[in-house]
Amino acid sequence: SKPQEVVTLRMAHTLDQEHVVHKAMVKMAERMAFYSDGSMKIQIYSGGQLGSERELIELLQIGSLALTKVSAAPLEGFVPVMKVFSLPYVFRDSAHLWAVLDGAVGQDLLAALEPVRLKGLGYYDAGARSFYTTAKALHSPADLAGQKFRVPNSQTSVEMVQALGGAATPVDWGELYTALQQGVVDGAENNPPSFYLSRHYELSKYYVLDEHSMVPDMILMSQHIWNQLTPEQQGWLEQAMADSVVYQKTLWQQASDDALSKVKAHGVEVIYPDKTAFIQAVQPMLQAQQGTAVGDLVNKIMAVQVAPVAVPANIPAETTPVATPVTKTTTPTTSALTGGSDE
Amino acid sequence: MNKAVFWVDQILRRTLMVLMASIVLVVCWQVLSRFVLGEPSSMTEEIARTLLLWIGMLGAAFAYRTGQHLGLDILTRKMSPLWQHRVALVLTAMVVMFALAAMVVGGGQLVLLTYQLDQMSAALGIRISWIYLALPLSGLLIAFYGLCQLCCLWQKIELTPAEDC
Amino acid sequence: MELSALILLVVFFALLMLNVPISFCIGLATLATMLLSMDLLPALTTLAQRMAGGLNSFALLAIPFFVLSGLLMGRGGIAKRLIECAMALVGALPGGLALVNVMSCMLFGAISGSAVAATSAIGSFMLPEMKKQGYDTSYSAAVTAAAATTGMLIPPSNIMIVYAIASGGVSIAALFVAGYFPGILLGIALMIVCAGYAKVKGYPTGARLPLKLVAQKVAAAIPSLFMIFLVIGGIISGAFTATEAGAIAVVYSFILAVVVYREVKVSELGNILLKSTETTAIVLALIATSAAMSWILSYENIPQTVSQGLLTLSDNPILILLLINIILLIVGAFMDMTPAVLIFTPIFLPVAVELGMSPLHFGIMMILNLSIGLVSPPVGSVLFVACAIAKVRLEQLLKPLLPMYAAMFVVLMLVTYIPAISEWLPSVFGL
Ligand code: NA
Ligand code: NA
Repeated sequence: SKPQEVVTLRMAHTLDQEHVVHKAMVKMAERMAFYSDGSMKIQIYSGGQLGSERELIELLQIGSLALTKVSAAPLEGFVPVMKVFSLPYVFRDSAHLWAVLDGAVGQDLLAALEPVRLKGLGYYDAGARSFYTTAKALHSPADLAGQKFRVPNSQTSVEMVQALGGAATPVDWGELYTALQQGVVDGAENNPPSFYLSRHYELSKYYVLDEHSMVPDMILMSQHIWNQLTPEQQGWLEQAMADSVVYQKTLWQQASDDALSKVKAHGVEVIYPDKTAFIQAVQPMLQAQQGTAVGDLVNKIMAVQVAPVAVPANIPAETTPVATPVTKTTTPTTSALTGGSDE
Repeated sequence: MNKAVFWVDQILRRTLMVLMASIVLVVCWQVLSRFVLGEPSSMTEEIARTLLLWIGMLGAAFAYRTGQHLGLDILTRKMSPLWQHRVALVLTAMVVMFALAAMVVGGGQLVLLTYQLDQMSAALGIRISWIYLALPLSGLLIAFYGLCQLCCLWQKIELTPAEDC
Repeated sequence: MELSALILLVVFFALLMLNVPISFCIGLATLATMLLSMDLLPALTTLAQRMAGGLNSFALLAIPFFVLSGLLMGRGGIAKRLIECAMALVGALPGGLALVNVMSCMLFGAISGSAVAATSAIGSFMLPEMKKQGYDTSYSAAVTAAAATTGMLIPPSNIMIVYAIASGGVSIAALFVAGYFPGILLGIALMIVCAGYAKVKGYPTGARLPLKLVAQKVAAAIPSLFMIFLVIGGIISGAFTATEAGAIAVVYSFILAVVVYREVKVSELGNILLKSTETTAIVLALIATSAAMSWILSYENIPQTVSQGLLTLSDNPILILLLINIILLIVGAFMDMTPAVLIFTPIFLPVAVELGMSPLHFGIMMILNLSIGLVSPPVGSVLFVACAIAKVRLEQLLKPLLPMYAAMFVVLMLVTYIPAISEWLPSVFGL
């Protein structure tokens, strides 16, 4: 029924094939083949074979790559308002994050990519980033004093660590293992799956779930290649994307829980601090954004209310989940294993 | 033509010396700022990587000028002088073509793209296009030296060699 | 796929034979291949971007630094004192300076994660000295290049970290410990080759010096030797990374050469800076265009297709491992180490595990294998650096390298088929 050639879309990312986010992209490719009845194919290049996240975004602009998965963090260099995702404690918890991403703000941010020749297809869960340290337990921002933390190469991350009282050192994600080992830095921050998959837990004594930022992953497409597709093909792609998002969120939750139990089994002490002091410490940093486009966006995000989840009336109250420590309320995300949000 | 080549040589040498000295100072400052001042600098890494790209690109042009790039002359060595001359014309043209196509046009397009779309660097907050500018600039220099070389080959004269360093 | 691989090879070798500089051969072959699946303008832009991307790495900074500090050490009297010291100690053995060269590379490998840096640092001051002693320069460069690869196995090693991540489950600490024996084994194998070669060629064996003179030479070298403590100590204590150690080495050798020994005048510094830039740039140009070539290879799925095809040939474990090694040697000939590890680990690791190999063992085997690729033509960063420093042509290096390839291959076979070489030490440490 389809005599025409198969359309191949090349999709590159920086994670390895074990990562749940890669598996979600494989799902997307499967759904794409299904919806298009085999007339379209997504070919995935993993492990940063085709470049770092910043470079992959550039390849979309150039038009030599169709699709990519990147953390929202490096997008700040392309669309300044994306900085909002790297700011600390902008999202109250996972439910709030997803209410924002699925709502008007999330859609506006996708649309903001269009002027720079990118088509935003949607968001993946990448959890919340938290600190891990090789020697010192952190219970409040005061404990960060005198400690050097590795941050991704971004001004916002540096400012955040400084606001919390620590010293920030940008180190390449690939060099971080030895930097931790040799004591060039005393700690770093990332989400549970990356903490686990990068094996930094081998060198860490504490994982402090302060969950300071929630930087989602984004699936982007080259605007140029998107425009070459027929509306029907575009529809298939959007459907395949939507399917993979549902799948990815489930996988992510599992991977995050798994990662936490595995690092605990390895002897890492997981600390659930009171976040109030952390949140207070970064307020000046958030205040400084007031009056800018990013500040307006923060206000809009803060104003988003999460619709209460309807609990079916016939279920007895006892079975509803009891409020648990902070961890459960926020959701994990991922940023990245090899390159992730880091460059 | 020799005069133009001489001045381009001079400017290129000075620039490279300054770039090389800067890259050492920047990375030393990175160690000092973390180690002595206790407050690590967040920008030095990006400055150093930018300088490295500039040194690599402009240095490649200079190395082309001084004839230092590695080649394989197993075959050409055995040719007659006439054929060696012909091959030299072709290979110089190849280098000029690559410099113009990939570095000047491709690199220029990259500079234009990142400039028009306002891409900013993560740590320094400068336009990425300033960083990428090293590519078309180096391409122009290589093409310039290559074309001078072609002229000399055509007229069967020697291009003045770069001052020994 | 097949067409793009063909175009790549034909264009590359045709230009190579015409004596086009290798970095331009790689670039033009990459461009020709890109044009098969892209329009002209995106292809050119992508090519430029991949070249810039290939140089966008903090770890690469070690190259200019160690080239520069090597030049300062060479002209500033530091190398001279080190060599005299080494000659006093082991010069009486056959092929003395070549052995010193191998040992220096291993020592350097123990403080740095990059074989390219070892080549530039050791080569810059060993080669002129070996030349003075009557060694053939291309032979000396070959020794340096081959010996520098030991640093990939002797920790720290950045490539091991890349592998650990690509394999998704091997401990970096275990890999680091596992690398010691194979790295030292490789060093010893190369020393045997050097000693034998020296006998055949009749290279000078220094006279045994009186003990008092030996002590004098060693004492004279102490300020120079202190650099090793400064660099290693700084890295181990966490004061700076291996890359930053390069900049510290520059400063320290500057102080020795200009202030202490006064063998370099301030007026000479400009030329030394320029010279180091030139050497650095030759290497960086190759890395830049090689990065672009690796990219188009991946983009066209050439590595995967080739290996899958070859793996259908047999089902004997010994044969398959041999086959994997051969494929990796071919890959290593054309490709840079990092992309090769990232691309082939997911393809070959499951096969190896199925054959009963541990991921740790496989990693060491793969890294050793691709280390050979660093010194095998046509694309080998260590080879290029060695040529650039020695000012010799690539093919001049190949003949003296032949016995060293053989030694490396023997070690590779030992490491492949005797798991204990890689696994014993980590098991002692319970890793
Ligand atoms: Na090493
Ligand atoms: Na090679």
